[in-house]
Amino acid sequence: MTNSYDDLETAGCIFVVGSNTTACHPLIATRIYRAKERGARVIVADPRQTQIGNLADLSVHHRLGSDVALLNGMMHWIIENDWHDKDYIAARTEGFEALAATVAAYSPQRVQDITGVPADDIKKMAELYATCGSAALLYAMGITQHTTGVDNVKSCCNIALLCGNVGVAGGGVNPLRGQNNVQGACDMGGLPNVFTGYQPVSDPAVVEKFSKAWGRPLSDKPGMTITDMISAMLDGRLKALYVIGENPKLSDPDWNHLQHALNRLDLLIVQELFLSETAQIADVVLPAASVAEKEGTFTNSERRCSRIQKAIEPVGNALADWQIICKLSTAMGYPMDYPGGPEQIFDEMAALTPKSYAGMSYQRMGLNGLQWPCPDANHPGTPILHTQQCTRGLGKFHAIEYQDPAEMPDEEYPYFLTTGRMFAHFHTGTMTRISSHLDHEQRSGYVTIHPDDAARLEIAEGDLVAITSRRGQMEAPAQISAEVPPGNLFLPIHFGEYPANMLTSAEAFDPLAKIPEFKVSAVRIAKAQAA
Amino acid sequence: MSAMTPIQEQVHQWLEEERVDIFLAYRIVEGHPLPYAFTREHIEETGELVTGPARYSLEKFATHIASRYPDARIGMVARDCNQRALNVLRVWNQLKEGQVETVSVNCCPSDLRAHADCSYLERRPVGVVKQQLGQVPNQAVADVDAQPSAERFDRWMYEFQKCIKCYGCRNICPVCFCNECSLEHAELIGTGHLPPDIPIFHLVRAVHMAGRCIDCGLCEDACPAEIPLRLLYRKVNAIVKDLFEYETGSGDTLPPFSILGPKPTMSPTPLLAVAQE
Amino acid sequence: MEMKFVPSICSYCGTGCGVLFEVLDGELVGTLPMKTHPVNHGKLCIKGWNLHEHINSPLRLKNPLLKTFGRFTKVDWDKAMDVTADRLKAVIAAHGPDSVGVLVSAKMTNEENYLAQKFARAAIGTNNVDHCARL
Repeated sequence: MTNSYDDLETAGCIFVVGSNTTACHPLIATRIYRAKERGARVIVADPRQTQIGNLADLSVHHRLGSDVALLNGMMHWIIENDWHDKDYIAARTEGFEALAATVAAYSPQRVQDITGVPADDIKKMAELYATCGSAALLYAMGITQHTTGVDNVKSCCNIALLCGNVGVAGGGVNPLRGQNNVQGACDMGGLPNVFTGYQPVSDPAVVEKFSKAWGRPLSDKPGMTITDMISAMLDGRLKALYVIGENPKLSDPDWNHLQHALNRLDLLIVQELFLSETAQIADVVLPAASVAEKEGTFTNSERRCSRIQKAIEPVGNALADWQIICKLSTAMGYPMDYPGGPEQIFDEMAALTPKSYAGMSYQRMGLNGLQWPCPDANHPGTPILHTQQCTRGLGKFHAIEYQDPAEMPDEEYPYFLTTGRMFAHFHTGTMTRISSHLDHEQRSGYVTIHPDDAARLEIAEGDLVAITSRRGQMEAPAQISAEVPPGNLFLPIHFGEYPANMLTSAEAFDPLAKIPEFKVSAVRIAKAQAA
Repeated sequence: MSAMTPIQEQVHQWLEEERVDIFLAYRIVEGHPLPYAFTREHIEETGELVTGPARYSLEKFATHIASRYPDARIGMVARDCNQRALNVLRVWNQLKEGQVETVSVNCCPSDLRAHADCSYLERRPVGVVKQQLGQVPNQAVADVDAQPSAERFDRWMYEFQKCIKCYGCRNICPVCFCNECSLEHAELIGTGHLPPDIPIFHLVRAVHMAGRCIDCGLCEDACPAEIPLRLLYRKVNAIVKDLFEYETGSGDTLPPFSILGPKPTMSPTPLLAVAQE
Repeated sequence: MEMKFVPSICSYCGTGCGVLFEVLDGELVGTLPMKTHPVNHGKLCIKGWNLHEHINSPLRLKNPLLKTFGRFTKVDWDKAMDVTADRLKAVIAAHGPDSVGVLVSAKMTNEENYLAQKFARAAIGTNNVDHCARL
């Protein structure tokens, strides 16, 4: 997030796109409720009907994957009505003319034809976003998990820059992170092309710094993303995989394809709390300590790095992930020894991460944590990014044309399928399905289907529905609800017995971010068996 | 020993004299008041004991200790609301008579005491939208009853629609201790969707709060949707008082009606069924 | 009897709510919101309130497991580490360091992520490091 949770409450308008906030980030929804009750206007754009949408001033349901068109349409109307922030654009941005030329072609009527959102609603969304003071844009995986994920994000940035909403209180472009430490994993260099703090592996000075610090010559060749690794497993270039705290067998696209890939490995090492679907097919399984059984830090969506503290001893012979990595590294002939524990590791990392984490220490963090960038020991942390200028200097507009998702419904596969979460479960369900209170809320997977479609196919609540995509077929019990539009299906991702990723595509991903298009697949359906 | 406050001295003495085995109060940890259990083994820590300003349900922690150690003698700092909760827990046999010894703390600034209210923390000001609708914090039941019924209905339906079904109102409640909760009775309340069944989810809880709620306000503080739950439960308690002259949180009798039957009717939540497959 | 309340951060979504673990005699008996935490102001969602349940699950892995002839056998850490390191070294010797991939985790701490990518880059010698940010 460019801004902070507290700051959301000061927004004049909150625009939520591609986020089922009350289910997936409930405590962010609290901030939206507060802002609304303080007088802020709330706009929600989501293909599905969501709780936060029902409470919004304006709720629209755009067709799956039509985000760029929707945002371009809003920008078209903002420029047409002269609501854009001309002083801000002149002082802080570049590329406005190209953007204006592109969005000129996205009239509300044309955008209505693409997105299915009535032209009048598009105009009203534009007006609310542009004319209610500072506007905060919130998004989640509904924006990113597309072949046009990067385009979608850039379009969110475009509209924020257009109205002078970047670097101001109550504004910003605010992605909500799905995992507790996805921000931290990225910050720590858990990516193939960067070390900690996004220092590129292709920069010789950076490689030299880390080589020196770590006492080993390091490679300056960017590595493979997960998406690349799967192809490399299939063609035999990747022979061993060490998976820590993830369940790719359930979480990655195209289940059959991934199954083949994992089967081709010579060695699969899985470090986990549970014998997850992926751990079951591993050669070695290493038992890890849980969040309550170790020390360390997590970094949340608002870039706040906070400590976790050890409450109990690990179960059985489980060890903290850091202890296991130290052991394995030492056994591999590269000794790692941190008698000072996680704090010593943190200090080593902070010293190598000058711009963002350098000023942090366990002592300074306390229980409130610190928000990066925090470059030195006197820096108070940064609740709002880019207040003076953007990281690259001027904020850049990207003129972006709308593109259809990789797969659109056709005669053979006439339905849209999208995937996501429900409120009581989390990701692949390894943690939530064994929790009795959470299991009570939802014991089993389902597929949500619109009442009209269900009636036409004579599908009743609970009937098994056969769903087929170009990748595979699965059956799931029907949940009939107008929360999905006609012609659309929703499959939650938490249930291994109904793996949504039997159907999704490993070939449809964003060319730059390599994020799979989990949010859009084309499928056909039929009633398989009555309940 | 450096100068101790009278409360710290008293707790020190109680632990030293073995009058209590454990004493529940607060300690400031990195600027945050957190609940803390003081013991004889670390008696020197009583010098760090504070009584606020944050407020947790210490009596709920006491019941957790008592269920494992039925003979434990437990001490705790108690405000008026804690005292009422302790009374309810004793009446319902969750704590034994005399099992908990309290050190009373004066919690309410005098101007608020007139409303029999507590304001242990600065209350978050309510938004202008709610103010315009007359929905100010800590409303008196009579003031709300005076509003037109259509207005009240719309208001509650709006509030309930925000619910994210965290069950925090129940989880934090000092007097909610049932092993089986009606809120998780699948035949009473549907599962798997947000918001939960409206208004049944909230009304089922409200009914169970009649003659039980001690008006501590912890539920409202814990509510992510900031639903004015305290007002709702005040209303049901007012009905109990009017009809049965029963004052929740004082006296030694059970409420005039007992919602819990002699035998539980629900089977325990099945666990692990799917995971073990 | 020993009771303590340990401040921590919820490990479900990326909001980062402050929790207190309620611990009685070394056993995790509950999770409750930290009332004064700047992120969640004493509130939690259904997952946060039940954070301790997965930690206490009897299905937690308690020992390293090695698969031999299709079945898992419990082993001690020394054995697990020796076998894993030998097999990794064999892969690297035969196919080079870039034939190994490491998937780090959005569920691990910063310190652990730092060490995991350091392990991949320095101990194995590859930049094949990624995690589930996209999933």
